[in-house]
Amino acid sequence: MDVFLQQVINGLSLGGIYALIALGYTMVYGIIELINFAHGDVYTLGTFFSLAVLTLLGVSGEVHGPALIGIVVLTIAVAMLLCGLTGVIIERLAYRRLRNAPRLAPLITAIGMSFILENIMQYWRGPSPIGFPQVVPNPTFHLGPVEIGAKQLLVIVLAVVMMIVLQLFIFNTKLGKAMRATAQDRDAAQLMGININTTIALTFLIGSALAGAAGFVSGVYYGSTWFFNGFAAGLKAFTAAVLGGIGNLAGAMLGGFLIGLIESLTTQFISDQWSNVVVFSVLVLVLIFRPSGLLGESLPNKV
Amino acid sequence: MCFRFLAVVLTVVLAACSSPSTSTSTTASSAPAADASAAPAAAPAGDASGDTIKIGVDLPVSGADASIGIPTQNGAVLAIEEANKNGFAGGKFKLQAALLDDAVQGKHDPAAGAQNVKTFIADSDVLGMIGPFNSNVAKSEIPLTNDAGLVQISPSNTSDGLTVGDAAKALRSSHPDVNAYFRVCTNDSNQGGALAQFARKLKYGKAFIIDDNETYGKGLADSFEAHFTKLGGTALGHEHITANQQDFKALLTKIKSLNPDLIFFGGTTSTGGGLIRRQMGDVGLAKVGYMGGDGISDPEFLSTAGSLADGSYFSVAAPDATRLASAKTFVSAYTARFKSPIGGYSASAYSATEVLIAAIAKAIAADGGKVPTRAEVLANVAATKDFASPIGQIGFDKNGDILSPALTLQEVKAGKVVTVDVITLKS
Repeated sequence: MDVFLQQVINGLSLGGIYALIALGYTMVYGIIELINFAHGDVYTLGTFFSLAVLTLLGVSGEVHGPALIGIVVLTIAVAMLLCGLTGVIIERLAYRRLRNAPRLAPLITAIGMSFILENIMQYWRGPSPIGFPQVVPNPTFHLGPVEIGAKQLLVIVLAVVMMIVLQLFIFNTKLGKAMRATAQDRDAAQLMGININTTIALTFLIGSALAGAAGFVSGVYYGSTWFFNGFAAGLKAFTAAVLGGIGNLAGAMLGGFLIGLIESLTTQFISDQWSNVVVFSVLVLVLIFRPSGLLGESLPNKV
Repeated sequence: MCFRFLAVVLTVVLAACSSPSTSTSTTASSAPAADASAAPAAAPAGDASGDTIKIGVDLPVSGADASIGIPTQNGAVLAIEEANKNGFAGGKFKLQAALLDDAVQGKHDPAAGAQNVKTFIADSDVLGMIGPFNSNVAKSEIPLTNDAGLVQISPSNTSDGLTVGDAAKALRSSHPDVNAYFRVCTNDSNQGGALAQFARKLKYGKAFIIDDNETYGKGLADSFEAHFTKLGGTALGHEHITANQQDFKALLTKIKSLNPDLIFFGGTTSTGGGLIRRQMGDVGLAKVGYMGGDGISDPEFLSTAGSLADGSYFSVAAPDATRLASAKTFVSAYTARFKSPIGGYSASAYSATEVLIAAIAKAIAADGGKVPTRAEVLANVAATKDFASPIGQIGFDKNGDILSPALTLQEVKAGKVVTVDVITLKS
């Protein structure tokens, strides 16, 4: 039982990272029905930006006390801002002109953007794995029989907080309303005086900023990164978005946590090499019985 | 609708994954001496043009494998440069290194290796090749070199099935009677056996075994497990990880509940060897021993594992050249030329290249100064016996294995790699 609970914690923290990335996939799909393949690479870019900020600040080891909070907040903020801007630029360069083109065209440019970002990162920091400074101390807290590390807690809390903030933003602000309207019917929204371009750019800004936050967290959590990191993580996160119901925020979150849990529990009770098989089998089963994903039917909430 | 998208997306992704992209890499630090006399080859196929003879070198020199691949490539380049300086074949011919990279997206790739070998085979100036570094890459290359009769010497492939048994026979199916593949290092049964002995000597009794499910990693892990249990150790379990896996916490949590005193990893740093060691600290396994083969004996492992690298043990399927009297000249020439310390397989690549160059020179002499055929070079390499090289006497048996292989056992202490023992095996 102890090991089971421990694996649940492992799964939730792994799933937290997937969930943060999946939110970006699902937002973009919700609003323009595009699978933004470059999103996984924006996530890696987030780790790279965080690393650059930490290098600028001269941080190379653990930081304690109030300085820790300052550094974490500053690094996340800068990474989110820069990733958000990258997302906006990608949308402007590669997707906007293709908005009314056949579906396949923006999908291909998305893959192209993904390769471009990967190669930029490879040029920037070289093709080898890069160590990420252990900024956050990792004391373990004992909750009854299970242990939870501070870094795991950070991942889970950040993912949940981000989703709640996002949910509040979309359902309680005017901009959020504009996003929902655009998602529902772009032409009608435009007739109502909503600036479509700004709204879509805003979606990319927020989605990519979340990937930036995930990038920082993954750097802290794994202590290492490399330019190709976003490929595997992006694929899993995209799967999470589909599993939860693409276009649905809570679904992306649920999908992310579910995939993390399935992976860690499969590792515990079956074998590590079967984890991907089980994840994708569950995906297939869910899609057979619920083609729009677990929470994918509530269309009015789609963003 | 989701279906259709998923299908489209996955098809595109898979296609992108498997495209055998090749990249020619001649890094500044390892570029061979520029060959001014090499005129563009206008000669008809089959006839080596002019006075340049090329030696193909196929190694992973980018990405996570670069930290071990580049020093290996440098060893081969140095041997070629020295041969030219010393007037190779009476100064009549000039040797040139054709350097290709078999890493794709930062990792060694069998398809890219095969593509590179096809490039060598198509170039009639190439009379032999050095490489590859990784056993799974060798698996895709051996059928091609066997078919073309192009001699191939690897500095570092250790998988058993490349030279002996049914697996090796299958690789040589187009010319079963010809063996064009040789290696100057030991195989994984020997390596796994030596590591198992080492582990028992260090008083480790309960090991959990992980491998990366690649030709090399799985072979080594299986061999270690068999020898370790034979020597009285207990194998608590054996798991395979998947490609591109980054999170090993779930696996390590499972392993922790079994209370091992050693975790053995069959694989390379690029397939997870460093990350596993690092994450052992996150789940409270920092004090447990960690052991692997030559796949994790690279600087990349030290940087990925960080402070947890200490207390890790691994082998190099070659003797430690810095400790050998026969390698003194080589080590000083290498450090003078590349301004960096030698890598684990630099001396092996240098020695392998020397064997190849000697075979080419002998063939030229036998032909009265003409460009020899690939078959003549191959016959000379196969006949190599007692060739004095920096890594000791080199001779090959009929399968292409080296006759007296040597192994180095190493430990990480205070962030530095320390050699514990060098073993020479008699076969």
